[in-house]
Amino acid sequence: MKTTKLYLGPQHPGITGNMMIELDVEGNKILKSKTHVGYLHRGFEKLMERRTYIQSFPIVCRICVPEPDVNENNYARAVEKLSGLEVPERAKWIRTMVLEMARLQSYLLWMGGQSGSMGLYTMPQWTIGDRDYLLDRFEELTGGRVYHLYVWPGGVRKDLPIGFKTRMLDLMDYLESRMKDYTKLMFENAIFKKRAIGTGVIPKDKALEWGVVGPVLRGTGIKHDVRIDEPYEIYDKLEFEVPTYEGGDIYSRALVRKFEFMQSISIIRQIMDKIPEGPIYNRIPNPFKWKIPKGYTYVKLESSRGEFGYFMASDGSEKLRRVNVRGPAYVHGISLLEKILPGSRLGDVSTILNSLGVCPPEMER
Amino acid sequence: MESITNSLIQSWGITSSTGAQLVSLLVMLAFSAVVLIPFFLPFAGITSWLERRIAGRMQSRVGPNINGPQGFLQWIADGVKAMEKEDLMPDDADKPLFKVAPYFVFMGVGATLVAIPFSEYLVLSDLNVGIFYIISVTSFVTVGILLAGWSSNNKWSLIGGVRSASQMISYEIPTALSILTVVLLTGSLSMQDIVKAQGFWPWQWHISNNPFMIVMFFIFFISALAEGSRTPFDLPEAESELVSGYNTEYSGIRFAMFFLAEWGNLFVIGAMTTVLFLGGWQAPVALQGSIWNTPVQFIIFMTKMSAVVFIVIQLRWTLPRVRVDQLMIICWHYFVPLSLLSILAVTIWMALSYGHSALELGMSIFSAAIWLYFVFLVLFRAVRNFKKTNAKLNLNFLE
Repeated sequence: MKTTKLYLGPQHPGITGNMMIELDVEGNKILKSKTHVGYLHRGFEKLMERRTYIQSFPIVCRICVPEPDVNENNYARAVEKLSGLEVPERAKWIRTMVLEMARLQSYLLWMGGQSGSMGLYTMPQWTIGDRDYLLDRFEELTGGRVYHLYVWPGGVRKDLPIGFKTRMLDLMDYLESRMKDYTKLMFENAIFKKRAIGTGVIPKDKALEWGVVGPVLRGTGIKHDVRIDEPYEIYDKLEFEVPTYEGGDIYSRALVRKFEFMQSISIIRQIMDKIPEGPIYNRIPNPFKWKIPKGYTYVKLESSRGEFGYFMASDGSEKLRRVNVRGPAYVHGISLLEKILPGSRLGDVSTILNSLGVCPPEMER
Repeated sequence: MESITNSLIQSWGITSSTGAQLVSLLVMLAFSAVVLIPFFLPFAGITSWLERRIAGRMQSRVGPNINGPQGFLQWIADGVKAMEKEDLMPDDADKPLFKVAPYFVFMGVGATLVAIPFSEYLVLSDLNVGIFYIISVTSFVTVGILLAGWSSNNKWSLIGGVRSASQMISYEIPTALSILTVVLLTGSLSMQDIVKAQGFWPWQWHISNNPFMIVMFFIFFISALAEGSRTPFDLPEAESELVSGYNTEYSGIRFAMFFLAEWGNLFVIGAMTTVLFLGGWQAPVALQGSIWNTPVQFIIFMTKMSAVVFIVIQLRWTLPRVRVDQLMIICWHYFVPLSLLSILAVTIWMALSYGHSALELGMSIFSAAIWLYFVFLVLFRAVRNFKKTNAKLNLNFLE
């Protein structure tokens, strides 16, 4: 049979963002795949070197569109670690809540994308509609719906609005009840199962070697979560479980995410229940004259797609020397995709892509 | 028709046979242009409006509701918009084939309307090979889609076209086999005869002749979905895989033709299912035999057809699409053997019950009870789930 070359992207409805996958196809079977990036490179890491520490926040949150808070939090914690700035207790709780809210809305987007890639277009309509309620809470809290610029070195910008707690708990009840609908429509859908089970398998013994992280790694049965392994913010004071499912296919990843969705709801409930009173930020010096001692650091956290790390080096001036973002999508989108796509079928490419949480803006910064 | 043609030929004073043929051809064309297409367009258009409204309901949104009452005239607005658009054609496209492809698809769907009986008298042409005609004429759709995929000079289009051809050719076999059982029961290929062999009450329909006809009904229904490229078998235009499949390069009115054909196909699926299995236009005996009963019979036909169309639309918004290999496995591993087996069983039952009308009636009532039970179950579950729906939100923030 003749081998055909197909270029999936840079503009293609099956890909979220702009990247290109070069496929060698024989009939319906993929022989070789190669990821080409470079369509979304905005040079953020270099841009940050020319700005003061505070000025970089609007850049940082644009690294990943569905989950800006992860980047803000990482960046703020890196700056705090370098400068030795303390964060008040209440700010840490609020930050954790924002991270979990970000995880929830990211998973809602993922649910829509995953079923949309299989042709089930009711699911995106539902989940993106429900995500709007979460964005309403974000708007109330931070003033922004998508990009929040909420986390600050030394704390957070604003305190919780009056009545936020009841509205948040109402929303959590609503999302929990909606999960039953999602389960019926997507997770227990016979055709979804048929397409998801046994597709895009990552072998358990190769997962760590290939650099897999996050829900994808937990879907292969390896328990790895930064929230538990190296707790940051206040995750050591919360009770939650980290699920693992054997199998390594799309369905086990979906189940991991579904379980974590419910865990995030429970975490937010705990936070709303136990959050202490107190100040929400420590004042920082004049940001234009704020010099941070020489040194370097690496901070990381567990985003909805996996371990998200920031390396930051400072040379003692008002501007940072170098920052390097290590996102999960880089590994998943480039090297992992090239390893698991050969042998699978043409129809599964965008399904696998969605289940790995590949996000081109994060890959290229 | 014939009288019109003859009078025209006489009044124009045409004597040669070629001339007479030409005139009759012209009359046919004029007839199809004036009557058939305005007859076909509303069906496809209204089905498209229906589909979008139902989809809106299912997806917690509104759907088209601006143009006309409840957005009823949306399909006209869409058609006008499509006509106003620039007609783009790729430079490297095979231009004649590219232009002709939508007409093949449109023709394949539109021509089926000729043989569909809407009531006892409302049928354009009661062909004696009616059902056979419909099977053959729908093959034009395959040709058109294959042409569209090939002539676009685009790899995604080509894959879509070839997928569509393989899918339709494969599923034509279970469809034809399930139609064959109906023909066995009727003893005729004519659509009217098929309807007349049934009755008004559910146990008189072909679906409840014996339990194997229920199996055949499902095989026919699912195969018809696959032949019409409806979800869960909409692989030829799988968006996340093939951009838009065979119609990727089409725009403007040509694109609208494809979509009109798709929704027309939905209507044809409903009509075929109704005629073959669900009793067609059959009204109670008192309301038959007169041309004045046409509205009643037409309404009965349209009600049954709308029910089938509604199920097809509902399936589209609740199911993902299957993969290509799974599609072929469903056809060749399950449907073809099962339908062969069912034909055998139906034939044996026909031979056994021949002349025993009480036995036939008993079996009919028994199998009607089976499928009515399933229908009841579905309705019951739908109502129950509707009552305890979770889509309620009462946030204090909104007050």
